[in-house]
Amino acid sequence: MIPTGSRLLIGAAVLATVAAVLYGITQEGSLGTIGLSAAALALALVAGVNLYTRDVDVSAMDTDAIPESAAARPAPQPSLCPLGAATGATLVVVGLITFPVIFVFGIIALLATTVEWMVQAWSERASADSAYNASLRGRLAHPLEFPILGALAVGTVIYSFSRIMLFLSKTGGPAVFVVIAVLILLGAFLFAYRPTLRGGAIAAVMAIAALGLVTGGIVAALEGERETHAHETTGDLAADGECDVAEETEADDNASQNVAAKANVTAEILLRSDGTLVARNEGLNGDQAMVIVTRNTPTNVLFENQSDEERRLVLDLGTRAEVDEETGDTVPDTGVPNQVCTTLVEDGGSQFLSFSISLPSELAESPYRFVVPGVDGAELEVVVP
Amino acid sequence: VRIVSTVSRVPRRLRSVAVLAAGAAGVLILAGCASDAPQDTWQPAGDNAQKIQNLQWPVFAIAGVVLVLVAAAVAYAVYRFRDRGQPIPKQTHGKPIVEIGMTILPAVILIGIAIPTVGTIVALAKTDDTECVVNVTGNQWWWEVDYPAQEGCGGVPTPIVTSGQMVIPIETNVLVRGTSRDVIHSWWIPRLNGKKDMVPGRVHNVRLEADEPGIYAGQCTEFCGLSHANMRMEVVALTPEDFETWKANQLAAYTPPEEGTLAAEGEATFITQCSRCHQVDGLVDAEGVPQIAQPELYVWSGAAPNLTNLMTRNTFAGASFDLLTEDCREQVWDAPPDVFGARYLEGVTEECLNAVNLREWLRNAPEKKPMYTDPEDLSETDNKTRGMPYLALSEDQIDQLVAYLLERK
Repeated sequence: MIPTGSRLLIGAAVLATVAAVLYGITQEGSLGTIGLSAAALALALVAGVNLYTRDVDVSAMDTDAIPESAAARPAPQPSLCPLGAATGATLVVVGLITFPVIFVFGIIALLATTVEWMVQAWSERASADSAYNASLRGRLAHPLEFPILGALAVGTVIYSFSRIMLFLSKTGGPAVFVVIAVLILLGAFLFAYRPTLRGGAIAAVMAIAALGLVTGGIVAALEGERETHAHETTGDLAADGECDVAEETEADDNASQNVAAKANVTAEILLRSDGTLVARNEGLNGDQAMVIVTRNTPTNVLFENQSDEERRLVLDLGTRAEVDEETGDTVPDTGVPNQVCTTLVEDGGSQFLSFSISLPSELAESPYRFVVPGVDGAELEVVVP
Repeated sequence: VRIVSTVSRVPRRLRSVAVLAAGAAGVLILAGCASDAPQDTWQPAGDNAQKIQNLQWPVFAIAGVVLVLVAAAVAYAVYRFRDRGQPIPKQTHGKPIVEIGMTILPAVILIGIAIPTVGTIVALAKTDDTECVVNVTGNQWWWEVDYPAQEGCGGVPTPIVTSGQMVIPIETNVLVRGTSRDVIHSWWIPRLNGKKDMVPGRVHNVRLEADEPGIYAGQCTEFCGLSHANMRMEVVALTPEDFETWKANQLAAYTPPEEGTLAAEGEATFITQCSRCHQVDGLVDAEGVPQIAQPELYVWSGAAPNLTNLMTRNTFAGASFDLLTEDCREQVWDAPPDVFGARYLEGVTEECLNAVNLREWLRNAPEKKPMYTDPEDLSETDNKTRGMPYLALSEDQIDQLVAYLLERK
């Protein structure tokens, strides 16, 4: 006779196989088919092991259970699993015709409650001893339940915190969290120095705190994030061909502080205090009046502003070519400057400039060059062999 | 009788295993003794590699002594205290003298190794004594080598671009500045220095110096895709005089083939079939329009080897295949230092051309070297190939191209 547990596993394996076939036929992509096929194989393997060892045939091992008739066994415990499974199934159906996210939640609820239900039902029939059955259920379910519930709790706390932080103003956020941190610290001290405090009281405080946190998180999520100031980047300037403008462009001031990157640039471009622009290449002695860049290669240079004013480095690549969307023809000269530039760099500061040049200098309509807007004569030829 | 036979079978099996293990170890040890090992890290051929050698020998010796001592102690303990049914001895916890000693001794050994190691690292990172700068750029699966205009290297008035083989003058501190166009590669000429990763967007330096003229082989040592194993490179060291000759040849103006020759037909074929990716400096079409390759339109890395002076090199396709026949190759590779330069500078002559290799490559490159060039498998690379595609050239076209390329030196 095939034991009950094995029957369940065999059924699940068949179900997974059918699902894999259906998924493979009806859905694009192979990931789902692979996953379901793997599940089918795994279930078949476990079913085989079960059949071979007959370890799910509890009555074969549990001598106390043998003389017990089914009628003598206690009635099953009340369970919320049917409600959960029904809710999950409903969400699946609703999700199929509304939003995918509901479908996903439905699948999760359906799977979780079905598994829980199966384990519970199986453990309740394991023996006539309710306590033993409960411990059997715990041995099987706890290794799964505890990590998952723990991860969910941690995820909820983190998500709630993040929503609240993003909702609060830039100055208010730190203040609120300093207060919360102080409260947590005080609470911890209180609990540590008053061991006579009732466990129930501590649990109540923790529950209220958790409830407050989650409620705050939900409210903050519904209210949305605070307004974030939109930064105009050098990429925006380059796209508009406006690298010559004198206004400051915001960027990460620390972007060029990466030691490893600083040590590995193609060249350092120095704007001297006398307004001259020179290049320094490791290995080549002295200042260079030209930068040689390998074609089609991601290239970084480090601009150092040694002048007394804020300046930016601009790589002038002529004018931009564009493809006419209507005709599909390439318009070689749109009149829009083809530039790459740094932000305004304070005196004594430095910043990276990253670029790649695809056409050799020989094909360029005008010579490639580095320039510094506002400084006459600050020019450096760029040669692409 | 059964018991006796069982007992005697075990040692016999153990003996077989021991003999096999000893044989395998012997083969490994013998492999390390190969004299013809162009990528042997234990045969330094320049100042930088010698610095590494001076470090690795004592470290190896110390590590060897530690290994022998530890292995002997373990073997003694295993044998001396093996289970013979004796009672378990009294267990004790802690032995301060031994614990302190076993902490101090490794610390002293590590400090002793660290001091020369740091010194060697600093010495190998020096760049202020550079006498010649050469750039290398990794691509799937070949190395581009270019010499920026500089006063070093005896003076380079305009950039020189080549591939596969890097030519340097002997007894000169060369600074290799390396990067990559696509994925991370690693540049390593074992007899001249250690390896260095070449990373897109970054420039990493390697010092090179060769004491004697010759060819020093290496290969990419960072897995970089399908043909990683076929991504090789060579450094060719020449005397300063020979290096000047080589340089002058690289900078010489383009010489078109004589009209009416097979090579002239090859030039036309090259323009229609090859020049969209491969640059030949000075090449113009029938209307006199300069032919500038635009590999960025067809190749994922955005580059293909410059073939201006192909036949001054000994190898092609990422230094994977010889351009010389086996006999001619041996004459160059095994040449004594005093005649090496002259033989290398001869380049590839008609008699020495390994036409089989070159024709096979032109006939179907992806068959000769695995590359991603199947048109149906290029969706992830914007329909650009990684490597040279199959061009469906006719045998006549191959003849023409071979004749044309043979003059590229």
